[in-house]
Amino acid sequence: MFPWVYGFEWHPGYLIFLGVFFTVAVVVAGTVLAALWRSFSAVRRKQEGRIYWHTVFEDLAPEERRCRHAITGELPERCCDREFDCRGCRMHARLLYSDEAGARAASSEQAEVCGISLPLDRYYHRGHTWVREGEDGALLVGLDDLGRRLAGGDGIVELPAPGTELRVNEPAFRLRRNGVEARILSPVDGTVEGPACDGEALIRVRPAAGFRTVHLLRGGEAAAWMRHELDRLQVALAASCGAATLADGGVAAPDLGRSLAPREFDTMCGLVFLDV
Amino acid sequence: MVERLDEGWIARGVRRAPFDRFLLWAAPWAALLALGAYAIFLCLRDGLFHTNMDNRYVFGLWIFLDLAVIALGAGAFFTGFLLYVLRKTELRAVINSAVVIGLVCYSGAVLILAVDVGQPLRAWFTFYHPNVHSMLTEVTFCITCYLTVLLIEYVPIFLKNRRLALKPSMLVFEYNLHKVMVVFALVGTLLSFFHQGSLGGLFGVLRGRPFAFREGLLIWPSTFFLFVLSAMAVGPSFVALTTWMAEKVTRRRLVKDEVYQTLGRISGKLLLAYVFFKCLDTLLWINQTAPERGFPAHRFYEYGGAFGTWILFTEIALLGLVPALLLLKPEWRARRGLLIAGAAMACLGVTLNRFVFTIQTLALPTLPFDRLLLYWPSWQEFAAFGFVLAYGMLVYSFSYRYLKLFPQERELAMTEAKR
Amino acid sequence: MRKQGAEAGTARYAMFIDLDRCNGCGACMVACAVENNVPPPQPAATPRTGLNWLRVFRLNTGGRDAFIPVMCMQCGEETPCQSVCPQKAVEYDPATGIVGQIPERCLGCRYCMAACPYQARVFNWWDPQWPAGMEQALNPRVSVRQRGTVEKCNFCHGRWQAALEKAAHDGESGPVRYTPACAEACPAQAIRFGDLNDEGFAAECREEGVFRLLDSLGTGPRVFYRTSRAEVREATRGFGEVKRG
Repeated sequence: MFPWVYGFEWHPGYLIFLGVFFTVAVVVAGTVLAALWRSFSAVRRKQEGRIYWHTVFEDLAPEERRCRHAITGELPERCCDREFDCRGCRMHARLLYSDEAGARAASSEQAEVCGISLPLDRYYHRGHTWVREGEDGALLVGLDDLGRRLAGGDGIVELPAPGTELRVNEPAFRLRRNGVEARILSPVDGTVEGPACDGEALIRVRPAAGFRTVHLLRGGEAAAWMRHELDRLQVALAASCGAATLADGGVAAPDLGRSLAPREFDTMCGLVFLDV
Repeated sequence: MVERLDEGWIARGVRRAPFDRFLLWAAPWAALLALGAYAIFLCLRDGLFHTNMDNRYVFGLWIFLDLAVIALGAGAFFTGFLLYVLRKTELRAVINSAVVIGLVCYSGAVLILAVDVGQPLRAWFTFYHPNVHSMLTEVTFCITCYLTVLLIEYVPIFLKNRRLALKPSMLVFEYNLHKVMVVFALVGTLLSFFHQGSLGGLFGVLRGRPFAFREGLLIWPSTFFLFVLSAMAVGPSFVALTTWMAEKVTRRRLVKDEVYQTLGRISGKLLLAYVFFKCLDTLLWINQTAPERGFPAHRFYEYGGAFGTWILFTEIALLGLVPALLLLKPEWRARRGLLIAGAAMACLGVTLNRFVFTIQTLALPTLPFDRLLLYWPSWQEFAAFGFVLAYGMLVYSFSYRYLKLFPQERELAMTEAKR
Repeated sequence: MRKQGAEAGTARYAMFIDLDRCNGCGACMVACAVENNVPPPQPAATPRTGLNWLRVFRLNTGGRDAFIPVMCMQCGEETPCQSVCPQKAVEYDPATGIVGQIPERCLGCRYCMAACPYQARVFNWWDPQWPAGMEQALNPRVSVRQRGTVEKCNFCHGRWQAALEKAAHDGESGPVRYTPACAEACPAQAIRFGDLNDEGFAAECREEGVFRLLDSLGTGPRVFYRTSRAEVREATRGFGEVKRG
């Protein structure tokens, strides 16, 4: 096998054969080592969150990846190809309101979709969190009504520690309830200042320089999206437990954790918070 | 509760049977595994006299099955090639399953080989003092390398288990392995081409066995190329067959229909090409190769019984041409029953081909005063094969239950509910 | 084993068997087993699993019985069994023309057995076992094989080695002469052993009526058979040879 081993022959067939073998061995080993090394450097550069979201997004079904503009009917059927980060999307840039005033969230409207309240004074993220401007330039982040109904009274939402860097679409919170664990995505780029004093919000975040909210849903868009979400959840739940939940115009129960069986609750958390 | 013992290990959004039902499914396979393990232990402890192989039938059930499962397991490399190199993205739905099938087939084959050889502890001699003129050396090197590649390809599937993926480092490693998967797909294709071919070459180079001997190109007999082609043809069929079986056992849809159609169409095309070249090769062998070596081909089939001409006809026409047509004609392929029948027949045909080259070659006498001898495996041989089968079923069941073998399952479950 | 052929001069050893003399007594088989440390058969052994380096077949002649001893043909340099061994456990020795089997290297894959058209190779399906006391009768010049390895006739290589050492001791040069156990034991002197480099012996092997088994395969066997009986020649003729004039 090696030149110093008895039986090694210096003729072309022998050398070609062993040459190919060693090349293959080196390529395979080298590729594995390269993957390992890149993994180490990714962990060092704190890329786990981005990689997590990329992996999750890949596993989403097409109806879970519907473009927000397809949900509102502005575009024909389309799947998001930017992992819900609309900030660099050309299609989204073209469809943004040219009217800047309309781009800001309306202040006093309140919508309701099948019993889920949807205050329109804030921006919504597709992971069921919301963002609102707080005092002195900080942003407030909280769970929307659907998310709160899942967390219920005895659910524990683990907040990121003050000083943590948050990035859009990367896990920020963890919900723990009944042995089920779900990661909740961050809607903002910024640094965590601390827990929020406002009852509804979870944390206060100092936004990163140049942070914009164009990737978040607002106004009528949010209502259309919530209807789409409830539709999607109902279908998925019917698939797993066979019982319709909102089929005949009923409203969502106040504490979904209590009214759902553990397996269904687990599936619901995954569907709502996009933690598949 | 025992039935929900492994809740946190099962992916979200898919349903799996309760844990006790899973144990009930696994129990008979575990029993078969235990019996097979005992048979293997007997052979390793006492010697190969526990088998019914003898000095004439030096290759028996085990080698025949090794060749058959390696041909069937070619679906792993070929699906990978089709997906990562030829970019047939619909096959993403079955690539994980194909990799597990391949892993099970190859590791099972290597395990059986370890029992089949008289001195398994000397296996490293082949690597350390290789004889490059031997096809078996080539097979050994390639299969070892390819098994390593398959294990590496299994790692990202394994790391995507829900509980394991909670650890960020696991997810990151899985992601990075996935990014370089095309390298492993290419290496796997290269290795598979050579070892599938060399398995054919094993018999094609036997100058002392005119039944098996074939002429060819340079150092490679025609069986080299025919084995590669038949393995590529039957790989997608076996993937389709196993997917269908998984759907039947689990009673849910796991892949979209377009996946079956792609697999069937590719398998049909390659099978037709294989039948064409096999006919050419057989005609050449009957009219030139065998007579030139002093053995007119009709003498090989005059024994009748298990080894009559029916075997040739069955292999090429009944289990070669017929499934090729079933899989090629779109109207027939569109019907699931016909597609699966075609895939199963293709798999049987290639298995029969491997049988012909191992068992029939050895059954036929070469010395003029010798006679046709028959062979039937011993219970230990059947049990050892049962071990591989049980091992395969357990690994596949375990992988199906806890890992995301079928990415489309979630989506299909949602669409099912909609209807 | 160290090759000493270069010093003693090369040879092309061959066997010449007269089928008209062979009466199927099997003495050659016994002598071979004794010389080469072949263990006695296990109770469960059959003719298909037993260790017989040399087998005497009964030929179906339709008339008076005839027998043919078959052992390893020591095929030429392109012997089918050498190229197929993945472990280089088969070595053709150009100094003697003997195809050597190296038991310490053999993996037991049995590929060489599949390659051999003469079915000359046998496999140790059991651990070799000798009844108590019989191990003292073992031939020290022949290695004992293990379970799971292939073995075959090697023209009594141990005897060649002994003859070589004696020749070196006596200061003789040239190819050594020795007699394998089977040739020595045959009561009818049906088996004769010689060197094809020896013109007299070679001429005998080229005579009319002398044939080799499976000549059409081109293996170059070094065992020659002779018979004057047409029905015996028919029974040993290969399938296609009738058609080839």
